[in-house]
Amino acid sequence: MQYVTRESAFHRLHPLTKLIFAAVVVALAVLTSDTVMLAVLSGTVVAVAVASGLARDLLRQVPLLLSLAVSLLALTVLTIRSGDILCYLVPPAVPVIGGAFPVTAGAIALALAMSLRFAAMLFAFQLLVISTQPRDLVHVMDRLRMPVDYTLMFLIALRFIPSLQLEGKRIHEAQLARAYNPGRGLAGKIRGLFPIIIPLVSNSLGKATVLGLTIDLRGYRSGRRTPMRDLVPGRADVAGICCMGLLVAGYLAVLVV
Amino acid sequence: MNPEVGRETALSLRGVTYTYPGSGTPALDGIDLAIGRGEIVFVTGPTGAGKTTLCLAASGILHHEYGGTLEGAITILGKSVRDYRSMAEIGRNVGVVFDDADAQLIFTTVEEEVASGLENLGLSREEMRQRLRQVMEATGIADLADRAPHTLSGGQKQRVAIAATLALGTEILVLDEPTAELDAEATGAVSALLRRLSGEGTAVLIVEQKLGELAAIADRMVLVEGGAIVAEGSPAQMLQDDLLQHPAGGGVRSPAPAAAPRSEAPPIISVRGLVHRYDGVMAVGGLDLEVAPGEIVAVVGENGSGKTTLVKHFNGLLRPTEGTVTVDGLDAATVPIAELARHVGLVFQNPDTMLFAETVEDEVAFGLKNIDPGDPGQPVDAALREVGLLHRKAAYPRSLSRGERQRLAIACVIAMKPNVIVLDEPTTGLDARESGRVMEILGRLRQSGHTIVMVTHDMHLGEVYADRIVRMEQGRIVYDGRTYEEEPCPRLCSMSPGRAPFTASTRSPN
Repeated sequence: MQYVTRESAFHRLHPLTKLIFAAVVVALAVLTSDTVMLAVLSGTVVAVAVASGLARDLLRQVPLLLSLAVSLLALTVLTIRSGDILCYLVPPAVPVIGGAFPVTAGAIALALAMSLRFAAMLFAFQLLVISTQPRDLVHVMDRLRMPVDYTLMFLIALRFIPSLQLEGKRIHEAQLARAYNPGRGLAGKIRGLFPIIIPLVSNSLGKATVLGLTIDLRGYRSGRRTPMRDLVPGRADVAGICCMGLLVAGYLAVLVV
Repeated sequence: MNPEVGRETALSLRGVTYTYPGSGTPALDGIDLAIGRGEIVFVTGPTGAGKTTLCLAASGILHHEYGGTLEGAITILGKSVRDYRSMAEIGRNVGVVFDDADAQLIFTTVEEEVASGLENLGLSREEMRQRLRQVMEATGIADLADRAPHTLSGGQKQRVAIAATLALGTEILVLDEPTAELDAEATGAVSALLRRLSGEGTAVLIVEQKLGELAAIADRMVLVEGGAIVAEGSPAQMLQDDLLQHPAGGGVRSPAPAAAPRSEAPPIISVRGLVHRYDGVMAVGGLDLEVAPGEIVAVVGENGSGKTTLVKHFNGLLRPTEGTVTVDGLDAATVPIAELARHVGLVFQNPDTMLFAETVEDEVAFGLKNIDPGDPGQPVDAALREVGLLHRKAAYPRSLSRGERQRLAIACVIAMKPNVIVLDEPTTGLDARESGRVMEILGRLRQSGHTIVMVTHDMHLGEVYADRIVRMEQGRIVYDGRTYEEEPCPRLCSMSPGRAPFTASTRSPN
């Protein structure tokens, strides 16, 4: 997940508009548990991505979301009994343990709601990250008078996502070249992670020191930034803010009704 | 150890002794060094001599960021580092390029990276744009402006890191191996830029292993060994000095006499019409190459020319977009990587990419167990003996020196007894003595029947140690010839980025 150089409509929005968009989506997603509303919210984010030609970038998160959804479903089915019983994981005809682990409508609804909530938040955050250069985000956070340490932490986190991915790939390749086999079964898979995780963590810790020094030496704590580009909100930003206002108003209307 | 007469001192270290936390031996021992405004001082010395620690001391980092014991006085523009409140304040006067270019790249496009520091200087937009354009053009990265830094080659990353530091316009520059991964052209551009900056009054401290163009532009050269300055003088004097040619402990020997490649035998590597595209971008286009069994082939070329892309096809890490690659009788486009690993060993540029085990012995056994789960025993010892690390078999791999880690990476590969051994930049970050040891090992491996392919941007290495040089440019092979032909390609010779320090200028006996 990182900035993608492209001339999309979403790219052209002011970073503050995009930050507000992500914040609104996250806030609404956290505040509601209604499946339909969460579906509308996720659908809105995807529609924005499609309209901006960024849908393909969002699709990369689908495997992660699917695995998350399956895990949540398993967890809720095993732990929650709420609403109508739809079926049983162990059919009632089985002696002794028959009828164990009933699958309830409440458990499925909760798993669905949580999955949609994650989808909405992840897509919104990804849209923000892939369409906004980190320095623009830093400038906006400065103007919002965020403490410089938080801003720099955010910057470093953004920096480390692609870096860790790349380093992990490099290490994986190096171990593959030594006929590395990730192993079978859960235990094998966990054991098989060591040859990747240990070099990844060791190398990242080493890089973190240099990264911190570089940020200091480039004057990121000076607090007197002059953006190279003018970041002036345009009509699209006004329209975007209006749309978000409508989204929030619709949300409140549904709550009241 | 004073700046040249008539220069005002910009940076000064007096009696600086430093010991890292938990270490009993000082990494710097009584360093006296002063650099005047407009002066370029070039510091060299073997691996572990304390060169990087000297950079950290000179830039105030040891005092502000590291623990340990620091004695002596360090002053930057007449003010003690102790009186600077933070590294941010020092950063207004001192620009530092660290030896790990990758770790210095923070942002998501090259232009953003270089502009990042400029935006914190309080300059007008016009000044910023002008300086940005100048620096990017001078370091040859203008065409990379929209690229993501992490997708660049090692040399390109190094140029971006240099540009981001130079853009700050500080009065002092501290550069730790700034051209280690740069080809001749890029090194030349950086040298010219530093020369110009020194002409404008910037004091420059350069630490480098290789004595190339950067040494030539220096006003003074300093040799460091064991944390102390052991010699100092003009580059012309120092380059003739015996101390540079034969460091303590012996110089570099040429590889063992080589057996003639068995050219009548069918090629062990055969590449035909190889095309590889990354996300639609052509990385190599239409390559044809044959390597005979027992050959040492150097694949050379500038940063981003497609060298690494080519060799990753040999062991299946990359599969051809078009064309065929056959290695040791196997179709490298379809055979699983684990099977190819028995035939082709790949030593990555940075050994830390693979080291994870608790002991050196376990590290070498890892690959062997992957191909044969039985007791690895003998091959592990044999491989460690070959690289001179048998006595360190119980050591923690990451506690070894850089050169030892590189040799360990080679041991991990040769223990699996592949017929073909590929090394990506095998001597980057190593001093001449360690480079020589690595090349000796390669010479012996060839004698015992292995085929060696080494990727390097250092033409000198290819000329001295390989049977054959394959030169790549923009994803194509533009030269393929023997190193021992009577008249080597004049263009190739002119591309040499300079000889490594302390090396004997001998050729392969072939």
